This record gives sequence, C-alpha cells and structure tokens, in this order.
Amino acid sequence: MPFLLSGEYKVTGRDSLVFLVDASKEMFIKEEDGKPSNFDMTMQVVRSVYTSKITSSYRDLVALVFYGTEQSKNPRNSFKHVYVYHDLDEPGAKRVQEVDELRGSKGAQLAAKTMGSGETSLGDALWCCANLYSDIKLRLSHKRLMIFTCRDDPHEGDSVKDRQGRTKASDLRDTGVIINLMHLMKPGGFDVSLYFRDIITPPEDESDLGLQLEPCAKLEDLQNRVRAKEKKKRVLNRLNLCLGEGINVAVGVYSTAVPARKPPPIKLYRETNEPVRSKTRVFHTQTGSLLLPSELKKAQVYGKKQIVMETDEVDSIKKFEDPGMFLIGFKPMEKLKLHHHVRPAVFLYPEEDDVKGSSCLFSALLKRCSERNMFALCRFTARRNYSPRFVALVPQEEESDEGKGQITPAGFNVIYLPFADDIRTLDAPQLPCASQEQVDKMKQIVTKLRFKYRSDAFENPAIQQHFRNLEALALDMVAPEDIEDLIMPKVDQIDTRLGPLVQEFKDLVYPANYNPETKPATTGNPEKKPKVELPEDELRAHVQNSTLGKLTVPVLKDACKKFGVRTTGTKKQELIDALIAQLSS
Amino acid sequence: MTAKSALVLCMDVGFSMSNSAPGEEPPFELAKKVIQKFVQRQVFAETKDEMALVLFGTDSTKNPLEQDGQYQNITVHRNLMIPDFELLEEIANQIHPESQQADWLDALVVCMDLLKKQTEGKKYDRLVIVLLTDLCTQASPDELDIIIDNLKTAGITLQFFLPFPAGDDEEGGGDGDRGGSGHPGAGKGLSREQEQGLDMVKHVMLSLDEEDGLDEIYSFRNALEQLCMFKRIERRPTAWPCQLTIGSSLSIRIVGYKAVMDERLKKTWITVDAQTNKRDDVKRETVYCLDDDNETEVQKEDIIQGFRYGSDIVPFSKVDQDQMKYKHDGKCFAVLGFTKQSNIHRHQFIGNQVIKVFAPKDDEHAGVALSALIRALDELNMVAIVRYAYDRRCNPQVGAAFPCIKQHYECLMYIQLPFMEDLSHFTFPSLENKKFVPTEAQLSAVDSLIDSMMLVEKDESGEQKDMLKVHHIPNPAFQRHFQCLHHRAVNPGTPLPPMEPWLKAALERPEVISERCQAPLEEVKRKFPLTAVEKKKQLKTSAQIFGKDTGEPDAKKAKGDEEEEDYNLADIAEGSVTSVGSVDPARDFRTLVKLKSLPFGEVCQQLTHRIEQLLSNKNTHYYMKSITCIQAFREQSVKLGKADLYNSYLQSLKRSIPNRGLEVFWDLLVQDAVTLISKDEVEGSTVSKNEANQFLITDEKKEEVAAPTTEDTGDVDDLLDMM
Repeated sequence: MPFLLSGEYKVTGRDSLVFLVDASKEMFIKEEDGKPSNFDMTMQVVRSVYTSKITSSYRDLVALVFYGTEQSKNPRNSFKHVYVYHDLDEPGAKRVQEVDELRGSKGAQLAAKTMGSGETSLGDALWCCANLYSDIKLRLSHKRLMIFTCRDDPHEGDSVKDRQGRTKASDLRDTGVIINLMHLMKPGGFDVSLYFRDIITPPEDESDLGLQLEPCAKLEDLQNRVRAKEKKKRVLNRLNLCLGEGINVAVGVYSTAVPARKPPPIKLYRETNEPVRSKTRVFHTQTGSLLLPSELKKAQVYGKKQIVMETDEVDSIKKFEDPGMFLIGFKPMEKLKLHHHVRPAVFLYPEEDDVKGSSCLFSALLKRCSERNMFALCRFTARRNYSPRFVALVPQEEESDEGKGQITPAGFNVIYLPFADDIRTLDAPQLPCASQEQVDKMKQIVTKLRFKYRSDAFENPAIQQHFRNLEALALDMVAPEDIEDLIMPKVDQIDTRLGPLVQEFKDLVYPANYNPETKPATTGNPEKKPKVELPEDELRAHVQNSTLGKLTVPVLKDACKKFGVRTTGTKKQELIDALIAQLSS
Repeated sequence: MTAKSALVLCMDVGFSMSNSAPGEEPPFELAKKVIQKFVQRQVFAETKDEMALVLFGTDSTKNPLEQDGQYQNITVHRNLMIPDFELLEEIANQIHPESQQADWLDALVVCMDLLKKQTEGKKYDRLVIVLLTDLCTQASPDELDIIIDNLKTAGITLQFFLPFPAGDDEEGGGDGDRGGSGHPGAGKGLSREQEQGLDMVKHVMLSLDEEDGLDEIYSFRNALEQLCMFKRIERRPTAWPCQLTIGSSLSIRIVGYKAVMDERLKKTWITVDAQTNKRDDVKRETVYCLDDDNETEVQKEDIIQGFRYGSDIVPFSKVDQDQMKYKHDGKCFAVLGFTKQSNIHRHQFIGNQVIKVFAPKDDEHAGVALSALIRALDELNMVAIVRYAYDRRCNPQVGAAFPCIKQHYECLMYIQLPFMEDLSHFTFPSLENKKFVPTEAQLSAVDSLIDSMMLVEKDESGEQKDMLKVHHIPNPAFQRHFQCLHHRAVNPGTPLPPMEPWLKAALERPEVISERCQAPLEEVKRKFPLTAVEKKKQLKTSAQIFGKDTGEPDAKKAKGDEEEEDYNLADIAEGSVTSVGSVDPARDFRTLVKLKSLPFGEVCQQLTHRIEQLLSNKNTHYYMKSITCIQAFREQSVKLGKADLYNSYLQSLKRSIPNRGLEVFWDLLVQDAVTLISKDEVEGSTVSKNEANQFLITDEKKEEVAAPTTEDTGDVDDLLDMM
C-alpha cells in the first residue's frame, strides 16, 4: 500500500536536468576494440534517462545542449558554438527518437552534419544553459546540470575563456543549479583538478572525493553514476527520533524500494483528445441540493446497527500521537525474524540542518548497533492521523566500490514489524521429510543453477510492455518493440544444465506412476459423490410443500438442467425461485 | 462454505450472585461484564458464529424442558442466532439479579437441549456452552455421568467462568495471576456448596478432556482482562494450489498460504446525511468538464482514456489496452535459479505479505520432494529466486523462496523482491566525516544506553527472555477503532472515550527498561549536545512574520522597519505569498525574500520573469511597473549583500535594449538612476563605483552590444585583476 508514498513532499515544483555534452572531435573517437565512442555512450545514457523520466517522473524537465559545436542554435542565437538540441521541457516520444538518431555511427554522421565540431567556450555554454533555466515559467525545485566531456582542459590554456567559464559556473551555482561532471575516458587520464574542479558544485562533504576522481570507461558505470545523481533524494518526511525526554535526533525518512505502478489513465474528450477534469458533487437525493461537508457524517454498520460519527471524530480516532519515532529498546539481530515482513522498508539518515548534533549521535548509535549486531526497536508514527507501528532500525554501514561510488550509504533501514493481527495461524501439514540421499541430489540441482542475484537485474514486464505500447502509439510505430520477459525461467538452459539430474531426483522421490502435473487420482477426492438423480415427482412434491430448501445446491442445479430451467444465478435461493417459477406454472 | 460455531451463554442470575464483600463488585456484575465484552467482540468480529443466551435463577421459568416442576427458574432468553446490538442492549437493560436459585446442572441440560434442537440440519464446526456461575446452589450429581456422556457424543465443549480461580496452582487459561488481591473470594474460602460444585466442575472438565480440561475454567477477573482486547482480526487462510517448477520436467505440487499480511479493517466508512443519518439521502456524482473558462461539461460517453508518455498524451482505449497488455500463462511458481542468501537484502523486500509454501497434505511424495529442496537450500544457505503469479489476472512478480525448517514442519517462505523500476539509488554523504565522528566517551555513553535498554535478557535458567514481543500486540488502530465504535453504539450522544490505559501502556517502553535507562539517557544527553535549528516554515501567517521580526537584531531592523510594516499589512489583506505574481510583483518579491521560503536565486528568477513579461507590453505604465521591480530587486540585493544576480541581469537587460527596441524604457531607468550595484555598496560586487555610473550611458556601438561579447566580461575581470 502506498503508505508513505502519498505526495506531501516538502519541496514542490519541477525537477530539472540539463545535459551539457561536449561535441568536440575527441568525443567521437572510436576505441579500437569496437567499444562505443564517448559521444555514443553519452547518448545512450541520455536516452535511458529520457525514458526513465517518462516512466517514472514525466513532469521533470530535461534539456540536451551541445557545446564545442561548429553550428549554433540557441533561443536568441546569441551564443556561438552552443547547440541547444532540446530545450528544457518534459521529455516525450519525439525527443527519445531524436536522441536515438544521434546514436551509433549513423548518429555520429548526423551530429557532424548538423552540428559539427568547432570552438569551445564553456562560459557561453553555461550562460546559455542559465538562460534555459530562466526562460522556464514553472517553478523549479531542483536544478541539475551534468557536463559530459573527455577533455580536461577545454579551452587549451585560453585564460580568458577559462575565467569566463568559472564566472558563469559560479553564477549558475548561485541560482541553485548543481553542476556535476561526468568525465569520460581520455588517453593519459582525465585531470579534474586542471580545470573542472572550479566548475562543479563541491560535493556534500569533503571526504566524498571518490565520486569524481575516476573517469567513466564503461557504459554501465556512467549509467550508474548518472542514475545516482539524476534523481533528487526526496525525503518522505523529516521527524525526530526520540531516545528519551529532550533527546531528539532529527532524521529524514527516505524510500529506497517502492513498487512502481502503471500510471493511472487520463480521461480525454473524444473529439479533441484533450484531458478533462472531473468534479465530484455530493447532493441530497430528495431535495437535490448540494451538501456541504458539515452536512455529512460517517457511519459503519455492525451487528445490524448503524454507528454514526462526525467526520472529524473519524480522523481523531486514527490519531495517536504526533509524527515521530520513539526508541523502545534494543534487541540482538537474530530476534528479527525473516518472515516479519508487512511493508517495504524505508531508510533513515540524520538531518543535521534540523537539529545540530543529530549526525554525531546518529552515527554513534549506528556504529554501536552495527558492531554489537543489534537493532533498535522503535514506535513509529509516520504522519499525522496515522496509527503507530513498531519498527526495527537495522544498522547499515557504508559500502563503496574502489573509489567509483557508493554502493550502500550509512544509515538505518527501517523494517516494519507485524502486529498480532497481521500473523495468520496456519495448519502445517504433517508430511515425511526427505532422506539425506534425496537432499544431496537436490543440492546438485541447486548448485547447477546458481547465479548471482542482483536486485536491479529484473525489469517489470507488465510495466515495460505498457510503456512500449504507449511508445508505439506515440511514435506511430507499426508494432511495439518486443520486450524481454526477464522473469521468465530460461527453461531450455535449465534443462541442459541439469541434464540427467532431474530424472535421477525424480526416481529418488517419486514412485513410478506418480505424476505431479495432475491431481493424484488415488488420494484426491476419493468420495466424489455419486450423482443424485431426483425423480420428477419428488421434486414436484418439494415444490408443493415448499421444502426445496432442504435440497443441496448441486441437486438443485441438476434439477434445473433436467427441466430446462435457465438460471442466471448460482445462489441457492435463485435456483429455488427459478424451479418454483417453472414447475408451479 | 465457512464453518461456524454455536455457543450458548448460560448465566447464573440467582440471588447469591449479588452477594459480595463490602467494596467488592458482586459476581453478578462481573459475570454480566464478561458477557457484554464477549458479545461485543463477536459483534465487531462479524463472524458467522451464532449465540444463544440462557439465564438461570430467574423468577420466572421459560424453557422447552419445563414440566412437572422440573427445570424451574431457567429462562431461554434468546435462541441461537448471530449476535447483534439488540442482544447487547438486552444484556444491558433486561438482565438483573433475580431472587431465585437454580441447579446449574439443570441449566446445562437446557443448554444442551437447545444446542441439539437448534443446530439440527445445519453445519457447525464447534458447539460450546459457557457457564457463568458462583456454584452456590446445591447441584444433584445423580445424572452427572449421563450428562458427561451426552456432552461427549454431541461434541460439545464446556467453558466455566467462576468468581474465584479454580485451582491453587493452575490459573485457568490466563496469563498468570497478577497479584492475588484481584480475586475476591480467593482468600475468603469457599462455601461447602461451592467446594462440592467446584469438584463436580473439575470432574466434568477432566472427563471431557483429560489433559487441558482445567484450562477451560476461568475466573471472572481474568476473563475480563483478556476480553478487554477486541478480538484480533482473523482470516481463514485460503489455499493456493500450484506447482513449483524447475525447468521443464521437474515439478512439485505445492500449496501456498498467506502467513503474514499487512491486515486492514474490512469496512470503510460510508457517508450519510447528517440530519437523517441515512446513506440513501446522499448521492455522489462525478461530472467531467473541459479545462476551459466555461468549464464546458462533457458527457460520459464522450470520454476515452489515454496515458501519458512523457509530455505526450496517448489515447489508448481499454479494449486496445487489454489486447496489447502483457499477458502470461497464469498461475506459476517457477524457479529462475538459486542464489546465496547473502545476496538478498532484507530491506529490499517488497510487497506486504509472506507466503508459506507447503506440499499438499494428502501428497506425501510431493512432501518428500519439497522437503529435499527445503533442506538442500538450508544446508547450502541459499534461496530460490522464483517467478510468482497468483493467477492470470495478476501481474507476475519476482521473489525469493527461503527455506524454513521448524520443529513440526518445513516450508518455503516466499517474499517479493523489487524490480529494477522499484529501486531508487540514493547516495548520502558519508558519516565518517570528522565533524560527526563520535568520541570514545560518546560511544561508551551509547554503549551503556544500549545495555540498559536491552529487551532480550537471559533469565536465571539461562534462557533468553524477550520482554516485548511486538507481534503479540494487537494493532492499536483496530483496538481504538472498535472501542470508539462500541462506545458510540452503546452511549450515543456522548463524546468519544479516551484511549484505554492498557492499550497506551502496551505501546510504551516496558517499565523495567524505562527505569533502568534513566541514568544512561542523562549521560547521553550530557555527552551529545543537540540544538534544534530554528526553521522558517514555508507557510507563515503574517503574525508569525511579525513574531520573527522582533527576534532579529535591532541594527538590522532599524532601516527597513517602515516598509516592512507596509508590506506585512498588505499580506494580511492578500493572504500569504507563494510566488511573484503579476499584480504587484515588487511587493511579492520583497515578501518572498523576507520569508526565505524560496532560495533567493529562485525568487529573483521569478521576478525577472515578471519584468520580462511587463517589458513585452511596450507601454509606459508597464515600464514604470518594471522599474519598481528593478528597484526592489536592487534594494533587496544590497540588503542581502548579493550583487551578482542583479548585476548580471541588468547587464544582460542592457545588452538586449537595442534588439528589443526598449530605448524609451532605458531612458526612464537612466532618469531614475537605477544602476549596477558597486563594490562600495556590496563587498562581493565585481563592479567598481565608476563602472556603475558609466553603466547607464548607452553604448554607441549598438551592433557590438547585440552579441554577448566575451570581451565584455573578460574586460571587467581583467580590470579587477589589475586592481
């Protein structure tokens, strides 16, 4: 359930992202081993960001700007060697196509033809981007600019241009634009300190240097790096983690894994395809007059009685306490049961800006919990008028891969725990256990089919298909692109890998005549009732004495069939009514 | 068909039930409360269970067995039916202590007769008789054995509720005696009749169930404590039969059950008319209209559905959507592969349920095969990654099947895992920052806090004891919900009651912990200074603005006092300002800068937009308005000591004058002497006083100005460098 997902973000407005891509000759140099050029790689990333924005946050604005081009194209055509390929707007089908056109060797040709490579002035490029931002009439909540280049000294020693670049970068940063560098491979290595260090927004803290030192050589790295930066961390809410009277640690709650859903359909007017708005009115059935909220109450029916409450009472019932987290105590990690899962977890990180000193205490708690293998048990009220739930704060230490980026951040994962109502009592069947020989055979099968699971390895086929369909319709394609259903078992491969193991295992566990595909004939439903034929006179007698109710539904159904009674329902009363109607006439 | 149970409440209302020691509640009242709570629970649980009420010790007699002076003073108050509020009201208003006495065994026989006759021909999975009595009447044991035999053959379960605990060691079914004083009668000693009665009760109960029979004897107090909790929501587990497949030729028959599930209340609130309380009096209607000025209404038939593809809206009918949507083969539990358990991260679990997977109970071959898989996974520390589809209508998921081996059973536990689309990768600044790294002293303060707050401890026997098993606590939301509904149903017209104390207590720290952690908490407080940062809220009333103003240093205030007064008052009239509007952009701008709800850069951006809009009108009136805006821009920039945005805007504005034909406007600006902010005014400015003055003189060489020449800015920088 979208428990914490409902809007209510603190920051409102659109996110925006400008791709500022170097279009110099160096970007188009192809590697000998057939690897894509830096330019090609960048376009693939841009495309994937476009499509992911379309699927996940279409209201974000995205722009694609090239610098170091021969041709110029920008709103007032006041900048030379800057080519605004896409200005800041919501990404759509056409834009995806246009980015596609720039991919591959054909794309390189097209780029050379339309834009060419020329002089570089990063200052102009940044200025132009600044104008893109200021031309936007919408309120922007998050502004990011990513520079993709493989040249660490873009102006080749031209100090005037260098300085102008620096000034414009600082202007941009002053208006709240975050500038990131996505530097790409270059022979001899990319030296960030040569120039770009002064351009980009300094990292959130000085130890965060790992993110900018190594250039990206692989598409996957670049994609990951862009993906990590592309989305603004959106805090679901900020609240206090209260350890005790007057000890409040400010924390932000973030959701890191939320089921993505198909976006809801939009209602359109048939004639013009324009969206319509819906208005809901509540009125009195008898008088037809509109009813105000104060003229309405809420009710539930229990035990044949309607219980009525005021609307605000309904809200007040839900309210227990103000939003916050309250520490109850600590437990060893093994007390956290795997199956105590009721909702996706959220992530907790200190908010130093709200309460100074939060990070230090948070960090100390995290460290100790982690070292002592403990979790903290808390009572958690996520929002106003939400009832509390118990949660386990599970420590997570920071993990990075050799200077390339953060894999997991430091913080607490918040695991929701079930209440008694959430746990169902099951009658587990009593069945024999497997012998060690049978287990060992299965172990061979398991070992043959080992793979390294990665949580981002599977796409959701239903959502992918939906967007492919939309894409096809939007772009007037003949048929939607095929999707690969990644969660389909690769049966052939599995069969080949397992070879004779399957038969060997089956021989060990199943008797010769056993077929697991069908219901076992011997054990299943042994007492399937013989068909009860009801003689007509008996049935008529039942109708006469109104004792049809004594008969069972299958018998009644049979009777209906026999006498050609057509029934719409399958409920007992409906069958009886139909029979009476037929036989008493 | 769902199985239901039939239950007869059989309550003693005879005169001895009203006897009590001074200051104690008479057994009658306690027994009545037990019945009330019990019926309430049933009503709110909305089970199909049926209930009858038999009273004995009544002044009158009304039961089918009465004959020849037998079975006297026993009244069947209500026949077997689903309990409702009517029954609750009857219990509240019609059941009083009466003045006769009746044999409880006779009453039991009446109940058995009632159950036998009224359940005939219907299916019940449980028949129960609940007897509430003080056992003060002499009962004739002559037919005891016949009664026991009949109970056995009819399959009837008995429960006794007595004013006193049944045994000295055994506290009937409850969770232990919490201080003996809670049981009136316990210390008093029982009368001879009561002792005899108790012996008979024990005899009956043990004959029915040798092992646990005595667990079904409760004391009123104890029962009340347990019953104050509303019944937890219980759902009958539905079986989901399927086949677990590995490749094309290995399949194992399985049955899945939801084992853990984020449970919700079944009922939602309905809207009723406040006057009549009738639902039918309220009608909700949705109309559709175009987003134009007239809000032209559109008929429902003229509406089609579409989806957004980025900025495009693609019409996509339901029929097409169904035809083109992702289709699959339905129900499935297919293994994609196996992986190490350590590759699965708990915090990435998705969905809101856990499914336990067993083999069908009648298929031992499947049991063995599944057991082999479960044990293999367990021994290898691995899990199966599976494709799971509930049925054809539901989209398939990917998830992990964990091995689970318990003392009495084995199963797989399936939990959904995320798709790529579901994950957000956020990076957070490292906490290994020297500003935040705790000292040794701080760490040891946290250590002793953890020690004092350990909820799991070893007891004397060395066994681990968990002080707070949260999964044994009922969902407080449901408890509160039913408490309020019940209150409103029984006491209409009175305000809702406060939360029940036991519920409040259940959500708090256990008392032991609370006491123990006081000192370590104080230590943490001392070692970790925490200061709340004053935050400016987004939406502020003018009153708050005034409040904040007074908090500011006087020096800063002195200058702008008057104008502040002015636009704050305007705010009161206009409501809060959230963006720079077109009516009075200069005022909005000032307010927003003051509020600091938006970054300064953003507010400036909004203002310059307005200025550009105004300038596009080429009209003196709008020119004047633009100038007020620019003046406000300048004034606030100087105030905040931020010259850059203003200067660069004014510079670019100047450059655009010839192209846009705004010379008239420029002249006005020159007249008003609105120039760049110089270094003399704001320290950070890159403009000298001289340049600022020069600025207003329009450049003669217009064609050069048109292009944003790099030399321009370069020169300024060069000049600065030289200075």
